[in-house]
Amino acid sequence: MKVWTIIKKEYKQIVSKKSFVISTILTPVMMAGFIFLPILLTKVGREEKTIVIEDYSGIVKQRFEENVKADKKVETELKLKFQTESAVPGKSGEQNILVKEYEKNLAAKKPGQLEILKEYKQKILDKEIDGLVLIPEDVLKTRRIFFCALNISDFETNKYITSAVQKILSEKMLTEQDIDIKVVKEAIRDVDLGTFKVKKEGTSKASSGMEYMMSILMLSILFTVIMAYGQLIMRGVIEEKNNRIVEVLISSTRTQTLFYGKIIGIGLAGLTQVGIWIGLAVGVMGRVALGVDNPLVNFLTLELAVYFVIFFIIGYFMFSILFSIVGASVNTDEEAQQFAAPITYLLLIPFIIGIMVTQNPNTPLVIIASLFPLFTPTLMFMRISVAVPAFAQIALSIVLSILFTMFLAWLGAKIFRVGILMYGKKPKIKEIMKWIKYK
Amino acid sequence: MDNYVLELDGLVKDFDNKRAVNNVSLKLKRGEILGLLGPNGAGKTTTIRMTMNIIAPDSGTIKILGEHFSEKLKERIGYLPEERGLYRKMKVSETLRFFGELKGMKGDEIKARGSELLKKFDLEDYYDKKVEELSKGMAQKLQFITTIIHSPDLLILDEPFSGLDPVNIELVKDIILEKKKEGISIIFSTHLMAYAEKIVDDVVMINKGKKVIDGNLSGVKAQYGTKFVKVNYEGDSGFVRELDYVQSVKDYGNEMEIELNDIALKNKLLNDLVTKISVNGFQVTEPSLNNIFIRKVNEGEGK
Repeated sequence: MKVWTIIKKEYKQIVSKKSFVISTILTPVMMAGFIFLPILLTKVGREEKTIVIEDYSGIVKQRFEENVKADKKVETELKLKFQTESAVPGKSGEQNILVKEYEKNLAAKKPGQLEILKEYKQKILDKEIDGLVLIPEDVLKTRRIFFCALNISDFETNKYITSAVQKILSEKMLTEQDIDIKVVKEAIRDVDLGTFKVKKEGTSKASSGMEYMMSILMLSILFTVIMAYGQLIMRGVIEEKNNRIVEVLISSTRTQTLFYGKIIGIGLAGLTQVGIWIGLAVGVMGRVALGVDNPLVNFLTLELAVYFVIFFIIGYFMFSILFSIVGASVNTDEEAQQFAAPITYLLLIPFIIGIMVTQNPNTPLVIIASLFPLFTPTLMFMRISVAVPAFAQIALSIVLSILFTMFLAWLGAKIFRVGILMYGKKPKIKEIMKWIKYK
Repeated sequence: MDNYVLELDGLVKDFDNKRAVNNVSLKLKRGEILGLLGPNGAGKTTTIRMTMNIIAPDSGTIKILGEHFSEKLKERIGYLPEERGLYRKMKVSETLRFFGELKGMKGDEIKARGSELLKKFDLEDYYDKKVEELSKGMAQKLQFITTIIHSPDLLILDEPFSGLDPVNIELVKDIILEKKKEGISIIFSTHLMAYAEKIVDDVVMINKGKKVIDGNLSGVKAQYGTKFVKVNYEGDSGFVRELDYVQSVKDYGNEMEIELNDIALKNKLLNDLVTKISVNGFQVTEPSLNNIFIRKVNEGEGK
């Protein structure tokens, strides 16, 4: 099979390029970087912090100290040091006034919130201490505490202080009700709140949003790969057309063979790269998700994965061929860019209709749109990911889009042939028609 | 079996407003070499491209090995296009494999034939080198090898000598003659008539898209008679042009080709020459293809 010779050559030509190897390695490294670097930075880059707790209520101080001592994580992981101080009782009233003023400032969104706490302001600015937690006298009633620091967006510190104080307050209220201290301690014992939350939201309430996000993610992969390799195929076709080697090639084999070989060869090179990436992603995610109830794992059933592969391949070749038709009908890269733009729009439309799909996956408009070959790879996949439609519809859409892709390939090969023939001659419609009929 | 391996009949091709090929017909006999000659832009390459079905003629018919062009025929033809090209990043071995497979050859066959030809062309040390590492001449040779690797029955060579140094021109010439001995029919185009003269059996000359001469080499030459004299000389030769029995003169400075009205006048010419210039050599020759071509073109334009 001569087409196999061409496929091999095109495939090897791409895969053996340095840029292919580099992008295959670098892309996942960069992706991993974007995902893991911020997490890594928050862990590694943690500085030790000293935070003063001013307790006007007299409730928190003692228990807080005990808790910090008992929990080693506070020092080792969060790297927090607390100095707890009971405020001078006489100044309590004055402090309450300050708090009121503080709240007023807060409401008015005025700067200089630290102004009111003069005695600590300088210490914080001098970095003698990193923050001040103010616990008002009536904290039991208002359930409000205040945290002043240069950096108030350290999410983990904020969380620790909030939950620690909250626990102490709960303990206090419950013991005041004459409940056994053992029971109270059991009642307020820590729960692993973080992962619990995700699980609840992932499976119930936010379900449809999740599916939309995931199918958008998959469409984005499709879109990115098509854009990258479609352009590559388009350039390859232009190059081949203008390259004189083509004379030898078409004197040895059919133009169609040459054209199909080229598209399939470059196409397979693209699939190889995507395959490596997906393999890596599944490998990494498999490890991370081991034993963890991951929303992605919940979403990605085997059935869906199979459909993704099917529609990805159909879409990939359909749009690659569209790009190569553009390549076959122009002579320069500049011209090609102009004609390639509408194809990009064709790819973007399903993203817009997609919102409608997630809400009503079975309205006639959506059904018809998803059977339209150009939209099938994206819209039909979306429908499947939201609510699996009748199998007949899926099968019909696959058959239609494959037929359509074959038609495009045939047309592309013809135009490619005409393009090669037009030495020093602008193609006239009459002549193109003559060549489309020509064997 | 048909005696002709290639028959072109009344080919016409227009480009925009220009008629590039105007009613060209030719026939190539089995086992012979036909030279398609003419200056640059005469329509040689266009004629060959039509023969190879790369472009379609506006009118006229083409028969190769007695058939109309088809996919099956492609494997029996070796075609060297005018504008050369190989994949620069491919190794020499991969190049041979690629083009060999395109011509329907098997891996072992390609290897055997390939190394045989590489040896012949003095390229065997480059088997594992990339094409971009070859010099221009070597790449030309490699391209020539890819043209003949599948042992075609018909060779179509467009300007096979262009870009080669004299040593490699000799080599290609030898290969062409060797192929002829193997019974392969060859048509090649060139504007270098002096090279063509040495190897062709038949000649077709075209100028401005039209065929001006067609026939057997010796026949064509005989038709123009042996009326040429080559003279090596020193001195001022301007007077020769004025002699009434001299038809034309091509003067190269210390050598000139003189065409006489009648070869019987050669002694008279020698007498006239020695009175004015110092003659170092005097030889009666056949007209060169170059001379014939120039005459023919001038005739056509009424000069």
